[in-house]
Parts: sequence; structure tokens; C-alpha cells
Amino acid sequence: MSVVETAPLVGAGIDRVDGALKTAGAAAYPSDVNVPGQVYGALVQSTVASGRIRSVDTLAAEAAPGVLRVITHHVTPRLPDGPMTALGASPPAPLQDDRILHHGQHVAMVVAETPEEAAAAARMVAVEYAADDALTGLGDARAELVENPWGLDSDRGSVAEALATADVKVSATYTTPDNTNNPLGLFATVAVWEGGKLTVHDTTQWPSMARATFAKVFGLPETSVRVLAPYVGGAFGNGLRVWPHVILTVLAARLVKRPVKVVLTRPQMFTSIGHRPSSVQHLTLGADRSGTLTAVEHRATSPVAMEDDDYEPVAASSAVSYACANVLTRDTQARLHIPDPTSMRAPAEAQGNFALESALDELAVALRLDPVELRLRNYAENHPGNGLPWTSKALKECYLAGAERFGWSRRDPEPRSMRDGDWLVGYGMAGVTYPWYAQPCNARATVRRDGSAFVRSAATDIGTGTYTVMTQVSADTLGIPLGRVRFDLGDSDMPAAPQAGGSGLTGALATAVRDACERVVQQVLDLVREDGESPLRGCRREEVTVVDGRLHRRDRPAEGESYADVLDRHGKEELTADGTSTPADPSTLGMAPAGAFGAKFVEVRVDADLGVVRVARVVSAIDGGRILNEKTARSQIIGGTVGGIGQALFEETATDRTGRIANATLGDYLVPVNADVGDMDVVFVGEPDRATPAGTKGVGEIGLVGIAAAVANAVHHATGKRVRSLPITLDDLL
Amino acid sequence: MLPFDYVRAADVDEAVNLLAADPSASYLAGGTTQLDLMKDGVLGPERLVDITRLPLRGITRSDGALHVGALTTMEELAADSAVERALPIVRQALLLGASTQLRNMATVGGNLLQRARCRYFRDPTVPECNKRDPGSGCAAVEHSARMHAVLGVSEKCIAVHASDLAVALVALDATVHLQGIPGRRSVPLTQFYRESGASPDVENVLVHGELITGVTIPMPPAAAASHYLKVRDRASYEFALASAGVVLVTREGTVEQARVALGGVASKPWRCLEAEQILTGSPATEETFREAASASVQGAWTVPGTAFKVELAQRTLVRALRTVSGVTP
Repeated sequence: MSVVETAPLVGAGIDRVDGALKTAGAAAYPSDVNVPGQVYGALVQSTVASGRIRSVDTLAAEAAPGVLRVITHHVTPRLPDGPMTALGASPPAPLQDDRILHHGQHVAMVVAETPEEAAAAARMVAVEYAADDALTGLGDARAELVENPWGLDSDRGSVAEALATADVKVSATYTTPDNTNNPLGLFATVAVWEGGKLTVHDTTQWPSMARATFAKVFGLPETSVRVLAPYVGGAFGNGLRVWPHVILTVLAARLVKRPVKVVLTRPQMFTSIGHRPSSVQHLTLGADRSGTLTAVEHRATSPVAMEDDDYEPVAASSAVSYACANVLTRDTQARLHIPDPTSMRAPAEAQGNFALESALDELAVALRLDPVELRLRNYAENHPGNGLPWTSKALKECYLAGAERFGWSRRDPEPRSMRDGDWLVGYGMAGVTYPWYAQPCNARATVRRDGSAFVRSAATDIGTGTYTVMTQVSADTLGIPLGRVRFDLGDSDMPAAPQAGGSGLTGALATAVRDACERVVQQVLDLVREDGESPLRGCRREEVTVVDGRLHRRDRPAEGESYADVLDRHGKEELTADGTSTPADPSTLGMAPAGAFGAKFVEVRVDADLGVVRVARVVSAIDGGRILNEKTARSQIIGGTVGGIGQALFEETATDRTGRIANATLGDYLVPVNADVGDMDVVFVGEPDRATPAGTKGVGEIGLVGIAAAVANAVHHATGKRVRSLPITLDDLL
Repeated sequence: MLPFDYVRAADVDEAVNLLAADPSASYLAGGTTQLDLMKDGVLGPERLVDITRLPLRGITRSDGALHVGALTTMEELAADSAVERALPIVRQALLLGASTQLRNMATVGGNLLQRARCRYFRDPTVPECNKRDPGSGCAAVEHSARMHAVLGVSEKCIAVHASDLAVALVALDATVHLQGIPGRRSVPLTQFYRESGASPDVENVLVHGELITGVTIPMPPAAAASHYLKVRDRASYEFALASAGVVLVTREGTVEQARVALGGVASKPWRCLEAEQILTGSPATEETFREAASASVQGAWTVPGTAFKVELAQRTLVRALRTVSGVTP
């Protein structure tokens, strides 16, 4: 077990190192990438949800101006699936046969000299279908059910017995709709073949995985594949897999022997790159009169695509969120003719927490107990599953600090008791226990003779601040001023890194970066071990501090020299070292590795006559372990909160009975606009986590979780109406 | 490619002649809707006649009315001092109707002619749309219809007329001025639009080639108060689920004059004459307002997704009437 360093809980909130580039439009997002000789692909998508392609007439499209090739399942070679990953395999390759498994499935690609020519010709491809009866509804009794898909179902004690004797019971069904990730940046791919070498500029959260996938699907050694994603215009989980259209773009480039660029249209963003699946959740809680939980039963069903996997254990976290002796969780997936569900910021937690924390609020009302007090009475000091102490847990501090900052004590518990003119005022809250997730990671650090440093890893920065935070970590560890450190990422030729996802990248990458930088410092000391000219001769690492590029003895600061001096004297241009991080092993750690914890407090305003709901303010109290950069971490929480407001009040992917998505534009699929985002207060509490030397816990997703329940609970407080189906819209409240 | 000709008209006569001679030609002004619909394959004009340089831009005042050139932008109209001073209903409708960027491009004439925001009308891969392809059916009635209309509609089409400005202008008894091959004519805006009825593809009385050259807005009496209330899910950047434009003259607690229109709920900007009759001469009370609101939605035709709009429209109107009259329940 590593010893956590003594350092401030919250690191300096320096500005983004890539901020100037991005605001000036100089950061090349994948859709900005252009290479000489490139041509353009446009996708043709199925207009039925199930069945077979009877015929494809490509003659008109092939004769259209500028068209080089029309690719259909008739000419596509059989391609193997990509490799397994921590999140499952990517979806199967496209155009492998004549079967249609969902509306919007790619059935052809037109390649032409210009994007306009490609798009126009794509409309000329005439596809006839033999349509079958499609399964598109989650309640369709014909759907194949996959029980306990990840082996995460929980059985603890006896829920049936506990419910039979509970003083108070609440039981209800909660539903969440399909949501679409909708990053602002349109997903784009530019595929370039040069002989047997493949370069792909791609919107991805995981270049190392993308490289392995291209290698396997196209039968290449990984060394012949390079994936580049230095800037990604948001993703929220869409970039965790290699989607069929990306495979198709690479294939098209091979067939036409030209670089091919594909930029998805906004409607295609709804069907081609995953989405958060809907859920139907039955939740039952039992408690004694004092408010001690005696039973938690959570059964969730979500849809999954016909021939794909999606990691979405909606009910699982309910087993570890509160101390309760009798727990049952069940997750079921129903196979439907729908576009692939996939991770969307806080997968499974966003849906499951809404049901659990709404039910807790219903229990608090039934018990006439304050919702914060109810949660404190059922606080899980140790991990409720294995009884081990958490590596860190400051959820209690989250409740208390959040309540204090919010002014929770001013809440009159009676629904409809608080009013401001036409507006009913409601206070609601929710707690969050976010799961731990960690992956191995690698990084490489170089210190040059001029005293500058270059550190890199094949990670991505999807707007989260990775460039900035890792520049800080590198500068801190190497003792080199920030302005002389460059951190680079987004290139699969760099040391392999895990995905920007699962709130796991910062911890894994910071640890690998620190390791690489430490090894460089050690190399300097190794170099001068017997160097008579060096004041550092014979020093051990712990005897040395580095400040401003100068290494000196801890006890005698006057005795030291700079990186530049050492490299110069030894005739070295640079020193380079590789670093790694390995996730804590829960089986030997003796503790339960903790993810982030949080408490969310929300004030809503509901127009008493019109039913309009507005979020006036949110206080998010977060235990994220050590926070490396106060500013980017706060931005993560605020961004997540905005996503949570979207989930609570606006976002719903509307699917017709035909399986067609009816609102696949940003005018019709509503996300919050600035005017919907009230005052956002964020406070970080707790201590550095004991699972890693860096002491961090991920904060990429916890900002979103709990907002929907807190909003729903606040709406109940404001109006007396319990809305158990998201999004909450004015027609629920008229 | 979808090739089309582009010509810039030198004057109004030339523009009208160019269009009248070519059944597949369209005018192009701000283009904020037109170009989207062309890119999406909903509209396919073979010729665009650019009218943006025609001398139809600007606002003048005479005879107690405001004369607004058809090419005046939404932003210019919203910023006009007379509008700001005496026509809050118009200014509010404009500011709530579009973002600044759109208001700087979109014209008043174009706003009045904006096409339906129906998700089925705007997606040519959906075969059933009587507005796009007469006789093909209406997919909206069958599917997800929350945004759609409940007044002036039938099973043939439930698309809503999404203009905010037009709601304010029908409440103000504005007149549109048209120029076509037969000559010029002026049409009260209340008679300009057609309910979707049997021919949802015909949205107004314009004949091909006729150009809106301007709008006359009579100034309401000095004693009048006016207001435009727009209700929607998010606080901005969304079309109305329901809206109400009201112009009210009250004296000593009695309504002397009332003009009422609803938006977001009808196939055209919906003037509510029955509601006005109930209001006029009645005490300005919550009870009167509710009675008027009830009259305003007579004849509503709903599908499951739109039923809530009948109630929402009434509450929206009551709130707008309360706001202008200062009456509290």
C-alpha cells in the first residue's frame, strides 16, 4: 500500500493550457482535419427497424457527379469483430449481410470528391426492404431477456422477510427515457492508407483501443496502425468504441485508394454512436419507525441492441449505497431492434440513482423525517457488501457541508409551503455513491538539456482538462516550471492509456505520469552517483527536492544543480523514462476502493399555474479525494450538473413505433441552454483517497448523478406532486 | 448535388416577374428556414430569386400606424423606438422568438412565412406528410405529437404555426401588403393564413409569385396595455408549447377593448374573437379571464400527446390577461 503524500486537498486552479488554442479556433478537432487527396463518404441508413434488404439500386448514385464508389453489403469483405475490452467489444463490422437490426443502420456508403456530392448521391441510393415486425418497446413481451448480464446482481439477507415486518414501506416504479449524448463536436473520421500502414484521425476517447480494433478488424500488426485524437469536441461516452461507420470509413479508404473523410450529420449522431438506454425500475424500501432501512429491493430493465453489448448495471449501486442488511438487486436487459445503447456520462448510475434517491425521498415523507437525516441514519461507514473500510469516504461531510451552504435548514418540510409570487419554491436533495473504476496506464517523461520537459501518453482530453492537469502533475513532480513543461496526448504511438471514461483516467494517468517523472529524477541521481563535480553525488531520491528545474539536497538547499547542468556535463541531450500505474487490487488491499461521493441540493421554481419548472440553484458537495486542479474539477462538476438538469427536465429521445428517432436535431432534442442553468455552487470535501499515491478519485461523472432525483424531490416539495418518470415537464404538473 | 439557379432581383417588379415565370422558383430573403429545408431535401426550388437588396427595408410611422418593410430584420423591428415604447407585445414576441444571430438575418416577411416545425414535415424519409406531399397522410397524428397543434387542425395535419411575431401581429390587426402579377393588394393578417383543413400544403392566400412587400401595424390606443407570454420547456431557444398575445384597454376595472391571440397551439396564428367578446364590457376579473380562455379553445382537436395543450393554452391566456390588467387571483 502506498503512502499518501501530504499535499493540499485541492490543487491550484490554473487556466487550461489549451484554452488559448481552443478559443482562437486553432485546435484541430477531428472534423477540422484535412489531408491531401481526401475524398468524402456519406452514409445511407435503413428506414426500417427490422427485416432484410431486398435490393439496393446504386446505378443513379454511381452515375452522379463526383461519385467514386458506392459500397454496399454486396461488395464488403467479411470482417472480424474487434477485440474484447474492459467495456466489451466494439459493435460488429457493418455491411456484413442483408439483415436490418435497427432503424438508421448503415446500409451503404457513397464516396465522392466533395461532401455535397457524396450527400446528394447518398439520397439516390434506392433500397428496398422486406420489413419484419420490429421489437422496439421495452415492454414488448416477445423480447429476449438477458438476466444478470454482468454477474452484479446482489442478494443479501432476506428482503421478503424484512418487507413483511417493516414498519414503513414505499414501493414504486420509476422510468427514464432514452437520452442521446449529443457532444457538440460532430464525430469525424479521416482514414489514410499508405501502403500497409493505416492512420486514422478519429473522434475517440480511447486511441489505444481504437488501434487494437483497427489492427484486428483489418488484419494488421498494431505497429502499422496509428490513431490520432489530439482534440475531441466532447463525447460523454460516445467515443469509447469503434463504431461501424468508422470501420466503414477505413474500408472505403482502402477500396478507393484515397484518404476518406466522414463527418456524421447531427441526425446520424443519434443512431450511429450509442445512447443512454431507457429504464423501467421497480424499487421497494422497508424501514423501521426510526428510519433505519431494513430492506432495499431494486429491479431494473434496460434495452440492449440485438447483436451488441452494453455495460449498464442500473440497479447494482443500490446494494452499496446504504447500510442495510437485506438487499436484492436485479438487472435485466431486453434485446430490441434499436440503435446501440452505450455509455453516456455516468452510465447506469444516472438512471439507477434517480430511482433510489427518489424512493429515499418518498420514504422520508412517509416517515416525516428530514431527507438528510434519513440518509445519515443509514450511513454506510464500511462497504455494505464486504464490510471492509472504504479507502476514503466523506459522504457525511458532503451532506453537512452541502446542507450548510444551501441553507437546507430554512426548508419547511410541508409540500407547497414555500412560494415566491407565481412560483412555488421547492428544496430537494440526493446522495451519490459513485463506483470505483481503475485501469492500468502508461506514460513517458523526457527532460531535455535545455531544462524543458516533454511528457506524453496515449490518453485523450475530451474537454475535461487532461492536458492541463497532467502538465501540472508533470511540473510538480519534476520540479520544472509549468511553462517549460509540455504534456501531449491523443496519439496511439504514445504509451498505452485507458479511456477517458468511467471517471478513471485522471487517477490512472496521474499515477503513471508521476511514476515516469520520478524515474527521470532517479536517472539524474543515477547519473551523478559517482560524479565528483556534482553536489548531489551519492544522494538518494528522498534526500533531494527539485524546485525551478534545480535539484538540491533537502537539508542543505544551497547544495544542488539544475537538470541542464547535469545533462550538459554528461553530454546527454535528454533523459527519458517510462512510468506505469496499476490499479489497486481489491482482493489484497484490505479496504474497499471508493469512487467519489456527493450530495446534491437543488432549489426549483415551479410556476403554480403553468407548470414550468426552473432550477434556480444547485449546491454540489463532492468527495473526489484529492482534487488536482480546482478550476477544471469545478468545471467538471458544473458540466455534469448541466447534464443532470438536462436529464431531469429536458432530454428525451423520442422514438416512433417504427423505430425511427423523431427528434434527431438539437432544435427538437432539448438540452439546457444558459438560461436554464441557475447558480452553481461546488464544494470539495474529504481527504486524499488511500487507494493510489495520487489520492485522487474521478470527478468526471459524479457531477451529473443525483441531480435528476434532487430535482424530482424538489418538485415534489414545491408542488406535492411526485413525478417518477423523466424528464419532468410542465404537462406533468398542470 | 441539388443544383439551383441563383439570381438577384434589381427591383420588386423584376423579382415578381422572375418568380411568376418559373413555377419552381422561390424568393430568398434571410434564408434562415429556407436554406435548412433545402439542405434537408424538404424544399427543392430550381431557382432562388434573392430579394435582399430590394428597397423594402425600414420602418416609418404615419396615421397612427407603423409601416414595416418586409425585409426589415427581426432585430431592427425589435430595436425600433416606437415598438419599444408602444408595442411591448411585438418586441417581446420578437425577442422571445429567436436568438440574436437569427434576428439579425431573419426578415419580418420571412418570419410570417416560416414553415412548420413538424418533425415529420422536415424529414423527407417519412413518406406520410400531407403538407409536403398532399394525400400521403400524417405521420405526426400516429406518433409523437407533443409539440403539435390542437386548434384549426384535423387528422390530415396537426402541424403548428410556429411564428411568435405573427401571433402579436394578428392580435394587433396588422395588414400585409402584397405585390404580384395582377398588381398590389392588402390583406388583413387575420385573413392571410389558412387553417390546415383539407389542404395542409396551402398555408396562406399567396399565389405563386406574390411577394410580401410590407406590414402595417395599427398603433393601439394610448391607454392600451399589451403583452406576449411564451410558455416552453426550456427558458430560451425553443418554440412555444403555448403563447398568448393580448392587447387590453381597461377603465375602472372594466375591459373596454380586448384583442387576444394564441400561438403554439394552432395551425395558424389564432385570433380569439369569442374570447374578445366575452372580455369586452366585462369586469377585469379572474372569472372573466377564465371564461374568455375557455372560449378561446373551443373546437380543439387533440391526440393523446397534445391533450395537455388545451389546458395549457387557457392558463397561458389567463396569465397574460392578469399581467396586462394587474389583476391577481
